[in-house]
Parts: sequence; C-alpha cells; structure tokens
Amino acid sequence: MDLISLVLRILFLIIIIGLIPLFPGFVNKQKAAFTGRIGPSVFQPYYELRKLLRKETVNSTGSSFISLISPVINFVAVVAALAMLPIGFLDSVISFKGDIILFAYLLGLARFFQILAAMDIGSSFEGMGAAREATFAVFAEPIFFFTIGSIAFISGFTSISEIYLSIKLDNVAYIVFIVVCSISVFILAVAECSRMPVDDPNTHLELTMIHEVMILDNSGMDLYLYQYSSYIKLFIYAILEASFFYPFGVQSYVFGITLFAFIILMLSTFLAVVETVTSRFRMKNIPYYLLFATAIGVLNLLIITFTK
Amino acid sequence: MQFFFYTLLIQLAFPVFIPFIKNLKIRHLTEEKNLSAVAHALILLSLIPGFASTFAALVWGNLPQQGISFFGLPEELFRFDSLALYFLGVIQLIAIPLTIYSYSYVNHYIEEGRPVKSFLIIYSLVLVSTQLVVIANNAIIFLVCWEMMSITSYLGMVFEREKEEVQKGSFYYLVVSHVIGFLLYIFFFLLHNQSNSWLISDFRLTPDSGSLFIFLYAISFVAFGMKAGFMPFHFWLPRAHPVAPTVFSTFLSGVIIKTGIYGILRTFQILPAPPEWIGWCILIVAMFSAVFGVWYALAQHDIKKLLAYHSVENIGIIGIGIGLGFIGSAYNSIPIQILGFGGALLHTLNHAIFKSLLFMGSGILYQNLGTRNIELMGGVVNKAKYFVLLFLIGSVAISGIPPFNGFISEFIIYNGFFKTAKELQSYYPLLMLISMVVLALVGGLAVACFTKINSIMFLGTARKETKTFHVSVYDYTALTILAGLCIVIGFYPFPFIGIVNRVLSTGFVSGNSSAELFSLNWLMISFVFVSIMAGVITTWFWKKALMKKYGARISDPWGCGYDRLDARMQYTASSFADELNEVSKSVLVYRKKIERPLDIFPSKGSFSSHSYDLVDYKILQRIYGYMVSLFARIEILSHTDIRYYIALILVTITFYSLLAFLWI
Repeated sequence: MDLISLVLRILFLIIIIGLIPLFPGFVNKQKAAFTGRIGPSVFQPYYELRKLLRKETVNSTGSSFISLISPVINFVAVVAALAMLPIGFLDSVISFKGDIILFAYLLGLARFFQILAAMDIGSSFEGMGAAREATFAVFAEPIFFFTIGSIAFISGFTSISEIYLSIKLDNVAYIVFIVVCSISVFILAVAECSRMPVDDPNTHLELTMIHEVMILDNSGMDLYLYQYSSYIKLFIYAILEASFFYPFGVQSYVFGITLFAFIILMLSTFLAVVETVTSRFRMKNIPYYLLFATAIGVLNLLIITFTK
Repeated sequence: MQFFFYTLLIQLAFPVFIPFIKNLKIRHLTEEKNLSAVAHALILLSLIPGFASTFAALVWGNLPQQGISFFGLPEELFRFDSLALYFLGVIQLIAIPLTIYSYSYVNHYIEEGRPVKSFLIIYSLVLVSTQLVVIANNAIIFLVCWEMMSITSYLGMVFEREKEEVQKGSFYYLVVSHVIGFLLYIFFFLLHNQSNSWLISDFRLTPDSGSLFIFLYAISFVAFGMKAGFMPFHFWLPRAHPVAPTVFSTFLSGVIIKTGIYGILRTFQILPAPPEWIGWCILIVAMFSAVFGVWYALAQHDIKKLLAYHSVENIGIIGIGIGLGFIGSAYNSIPIQILGFGGALLHTLNHAIFKSLLFMGSGILYQNLGTRNIELMGGVVNKAKYFVLLFLIGSVAISGIPPFNGFISEFIIYNGFFKTAKELQSYYPLLMLISMVVLALVGGLAVACFTKINSIMFLGTARKETKTFHVSVYDYTALTILAGLCIVIGFYPFPFIGIVNRVLSTGFVSGNSSAELFSLNWLMISFVFVSIMAGVITTWFWKKALMKKYGARISDPWGCGYDRLDARMQYTASSFADELNEVSKSVLVYRKKIERPLDIFPSKGSFSSHSYDLVDYKILQRIYGYMVSLFARIEILSHTDIRYYIALILVTITFYSLLAFLWI
C-alpha cells in the first residue's frame, strides 16, 4: 500500500468518525416516529456532545488516575478497532494476517478500563453495572468468534477485511449461513452496545442498566469521550452487520457510498423497529439470550461444515 | 558455558560457608540483617552474569553447545541445548528480580525477630537445584536435582511452620512431589532398560518396544503434568501457594511449575512422534485447565489462592500450544509445530514474568494490610499509586490484552489454530474454531477476574483501617523490572520471537527451519500499539487542556439520596463475580450462605459465599476418608511406641531385599 492511499484512508476515517453520531440520531428519530412522536432532530447527539464538551468535569472523591485515563484509553482503543474494518467502499486502514484477534482484544482493552473506571468511583451503582458488563461480555465473546471467526475458518482468511471480501453470495447454503451469521451478529451488537432488549439507553433507572449505570457519575469531558466511544462502538457493530450484505468490489465511488449509506440506513430502521416492538429482558434472561445466539451460531456452523 | 557453573558455585557458597561464619568472628556478619544482605548480593551478582551468558548463548552461540566439562566431570553429564538454555534463561531472568524482592521480604522477618538463616540457605539451594534440573543430561542427576528442588521448595514453603494452615496446605505438595518422583523413577528406569544408557540425550526405544512409548508418554504427562498443574492434578497449587512465603510461592508459580512444561517438551524430544490422539488429549485437558482454572479463580477471595488458580489457567494456555504442536508433529507439519510450540514457549516466559509480578504484589499487599482476603482491602491506589500501576500492568498482561506481552503469545497460539485449519482441512476448521472460542472465553473470564481483583483491592475506599502503605525501594525495583519486561515484549517482540524461533529450529522441531513465526506481521502489531500509545497521549493532553478551560472538580458520588456512605457499602468481590459463578455452580462447588434479616425488628443478617475445589473436596477428601476408615479396621499392629514401627519397617525392608536378591 502506498503512502497517499494510506493518508487518504486515514482522512476518510476521520470524516467517518465525525459522521458517526448521526447513526444514533437516525435510530432515535425513527423510534420516535414509530411511537407517534416527533422526536428530537437527527443532530441531537451532536448537540449533546457539544454540550458535554463545555461542561465542567467532575470526578468522584475517592477516584484515582484510572478515572482520568480510562475515557481516553476507551476512546482510542475503539477508534483503533474501527480502523481495522472495511467501511464499505473504503479499505481498512490497518489490515494484516490475524487482525481479527487484535480487533476482538482491542474491544477487550476498552472494556477492561471501562469496568475499572466504573469501579473506581466507589459507589455500588457503578459496581452493579461493571459486574454485569463483565458477566455479559463473557457470554458475548464466543458469539463473535462463532460468526466472523467461522467465516475466517471457512474462507481461510484471517484479516477482517479479507474475511468480508471473501463472502460471495453464490450458493443457497452459503446465503443461509451468512444470513444466520448476521442474525447472531445482530444479537451480539444489541448486547455489546447496550441497546434494547438487553439494555435501555434511554432510562436512568440505575438498577436495570448496564452501560448507562457505569457512566452514571461521569460528566463533562469524561462523559463526552465515553459517549463518543459508545457511538463508535455502535457503528462498529453496524459495519460488522452491514458488511455481510455489501457487495465488495464495487468500482464506482458514488454508487459505493450511496449503497453503503443505504444499508446503514436500513440497519438503523431495523434497529429502531426492534427497539420499538421489544421490551427489555429481565437481567436473569440476558445470558440465555446470548447463549441463544451462540447456539444458532454453532448449529449454523455444523450445517455448513457438513453440507460442504 | 563453563562460566555458568562458577555462578552456580557462588550461589552455593552461602549455604556451604554458613556453619563457619560464627568461627570467622567477623562482628558485623553475625547480625542477621547483614547476613541476608551478603547472601542476596552473592546470589544476585552471580545470577546477572549467569543470565547474560545464557542469553548470549541463546542469541549468538552455536547450539547445541558441546564439550563442556567442569572440574573433570564427564562432559556429557550436562547438556546445554536450545531447550535447556531457554528454560535456564527463564529461571535466571525471574530469579534476578525475585532476589531483589527477597531481600526486602526477608527484612520483614528480621524485624519480626525471626531467624532467617535457614530461609537464605533454602533459597540458595532451590535456585541452584532448579537451574541444574533443566541442564541435567544424566537421568540420575536429573532425578537427584528434581528431588532436591521439590524438597527444598517444600522446606521453603513450611518456613512459618508453627502455623496450622501452613502444615495442612504444604502437605499436599509433599505428597504430590513424592508421587511425581515415583512416576519419574518408573519413567527413567524404563527408558534406561530400553537404551542401556543413563544419558537423556542417548535415550532411544528399541525397535521391538511396540507401543511402550505410549505408556511412557502417559507416565510423563501424569508426572510432569502434576508438577505443572494441569487440571485434574492441579489440587496442590491452591493449597500450597497461599501458605508459602511469597518468595517461594512466586518461585513455585513462576518457575518450578515450568519445569513440568520442560519435562513434557523433553519427553517429546526423546520419544518417537506421538499419534494424533495424544495431541488431542493434551489439547482437551489443557482447555479444561484453562477454562476452569480461571473460573475457579473468579470464585476465590484469597488473593494468593486466586493467583494459584490463574497459574492453572495459564498452564492450560501453554498446554493448548503444546497440544497443537503434537498434532502438528503427528501430521509432520512444521508450520503447525512452530506456531504451537512457539506459542507455548513464549507463553512460558510471559507467564513467568507477569505471574511473578502479581505474586510479589500480593506479598506486598499482605505485608501491609495483614490479610490475603481481597474483601477486606480497598483504597490502596490513594496510598501507593505507582505500585497499583505496576500491578495493573501485570493484570492487563495476564488477561492477554494488548499492548502487553500476554497478547503476543496468545496471538501466536491463535494463529496456530488458523494454520492447523488451513493445513489439515476436512473437519479441522470446526475443531480449531471450537478451540479458538475456548481461548476467547478464557480471555473474557480473565478480564472479569482481573477487573474484579484490581477494583476491589485498589479502588474505592479502604475497607479496613491501615496506617501506611509502605513499598520499599527493592520491591519497586523488582516490580519495575518485571513490568518493564511485560511492556518491552508487548511493544517490541522481535528479539523474543527470534529466540523462540532459534530454540525451535535448532534441534527441537525436526526438519528444516521455518520462518513461520516471522511471517506473522509483528511490525504491524508494534505499529498499532505505538499508534494507540500516541493516540492515548494526544487525547490525554487534549482532554487536559479542555478540562483546564472548562473546569474540573471533585465531588462525592451520587448516593441515591443517602448521604452517610461508608466503605462497607461499596461493591464486593463476591457480588461482582456471583452471576458468573452461578453459571458453573456445580463444577465450582459454589455455596452461598444467606441469613436474611426477617422480622419487623430485623435480626442481624449475614452472607457468605465459598467455592470448594471439586477434585480436592469431592474426590481426594472422600478417598482419604475411605482410606482412614479402612486402615482403622485393619489396625492390628497399632502401638503407640515408635520402636515397634521401626522394627516393622526393618522387617519389611529385609523381606523385600531378600526377594530382590532371590529374583536376581
């Protein structure tokens, strides 16, 4: 890869990071429409971020350097993970043999420090959220490998962008396989990004939340970085999902951009529909929900292995 | 390498000369403090050049090194081939910071007014015997050194022998050591029978030995696996580690259990290539060790017990690498062997580094807080920020999270899975995928476990009154060396990959050397790590600037309207891990005792949770119970007088000796 294309890709990545808050904006707007409200503008996430940026940062009395450094590590790790994904028409900035492992572990790095920072506050509420995050992450981890990982093993590629490039929807068994994989990934995305029906991003009932309760006591710059990284994380999973259906290798940029934007938009609609028609699960049932995704992933894998 | 023997002699100098020190009449030397300083300085000064020579031999020397004789001893008694040198290097590398740490640890004993001479002697002997184990080429010397290593580490373990828990906990280790010794005798005698030589390098099986080698593999795995702590034989680790002085539990967990790994790899080198199912057996046992090791760790409250279970987990990860290597050798595939064994070897080094770091940290915590129970700790970060940072580096590294060294070795093993699937095809992709998911699950559980202990032990406010938290300069030096190694191997793995590759290509993996380890894109990984570092620093300064502009302050956390928050209302380790422990309740033997405050005027409520080891609690203790009741019934010759017992032993020995004579 030459330097100019690398610089271009990094520039595009920065632009995309700038556009990311639009995605939750779209989701919320559509959710409002489905429930018969007008709802806030799609730019609302931007307004909120701008507001946070100008607020005073308040830290808890007993907190340590972990509270200070964690939002930064969280943000950078998530951005690095995003840089490994092919964003539709754009090749990934970082791509090498085995980067699927680094991708999963970078999200692990973000999670590690998020949990620590939540516990650093020294209040039981954050503790609850942190414990849940740690628990559900254990169940969520296998799903990623049973879906994206299984495609890696089938195609023989170990870099995420190559894995997605290898998907050619040409026979029926494989199409079914990919569709089931995409369902698993969707379930994973819902859990990892704290959306309904696992977590409700809109309530502030601390006993029932996961992600929101971890950042309950954060404010100002810290909250800004946490919010932004959670938007980026949502978008990462949106890309993981959308890339299943994006026909890689499209030559025309205009067509590529339009198509990718369209898929992402469809995805936001789907997410909005799911969030409208489902209600939150009881905490006890979330592991089963995640195990369900694992189970269909395993079954799917068995089927594709034995039909080949 | 002759030089190395001189360093060993210096390490032995202290135990040999200590009886004469009194007669020397040097006034200052009779003081315990100076004695300990001299002993540690001697060991340290001999370890550093010793390590340097091992390192130089590994990197630049001609491997395997030949023709080293010492004091007229036959030169084939010791062997400095790549595998021996690698493990020797690991031992010496860990021993350097450990010795520095040991000095400050022994000072605590001296302050308590405990005589420490025996501690120093045992420490020197354990170091020397462990180093000799890995280079011994004569089976008898190997067995002698092995026994010496086991016995001296046992003696070190019972240093605080007046405590009851020490006697109980170390007993398991003693018994296990004997069982291992017994199995190793069978192993080496059988090999000697076959090859008519006592030299390990000369061990060959005769062509008509048939499937004897499978039996030998089995014995070797049970014996060395017991030492290493693979899952059904792990039960001695969580018993022995908490009671041993930290110096010895560090050495035990960081180094001695690795001699088990060394033994397994040596067996692989001696015996003919194993059939594939042996590889699968190791892989499955290793996966069980990894998953349940970390799951048991999650349920513990005792920091040292928890770390002991993490040793089981990491030995499991090393075992996964070895299992892959075995499968590769069954198919004669060099890339799979290189990735499998390479991952295992590098993880051996990495685990030695971060586990020593964590164990030393746990020792410092124990000395300052007077408890090993993590539920009683908390708030350490406000007293010793730098210490917490070092411990945190070790925790991130052991969870396999980038950018530290744990990730590098796990990455090699993951690539081993990919390679195996690609090379062997058919149903292998599926099996390798399942193995990969298991390793990912272990990673997830390790994150849960280490966020738990770091947050409960260090963050929040102190749950128990403590005066000051003192970490001495020596402690900091030792911890910094180890944490520095974690960072260096993480950010710049090339030299270490190079060493592992050299170890494998010079005489371990048969066939021409392969560049499989270098074909992984280490440059890119280093680049990503450095960019993340740069990103963190830039964002940090940006954040700092904005915080300055818009203000920052400190305030109490939200107490849900309750304003008398105290330390006891913080989240606890049991609640943090409860949900995950509930999932595998039956394996963990996870029990909770809840007394609810029920009445209108609530009585005092209580809650406690505990996890028992399945093997220990359900199997061993039950068998032990049966044995006790059985022997109680056949107790016909029971006398309280010891002379009867001695007479009985004498009669038995005479009987067996006569039998042996008649048989020959």
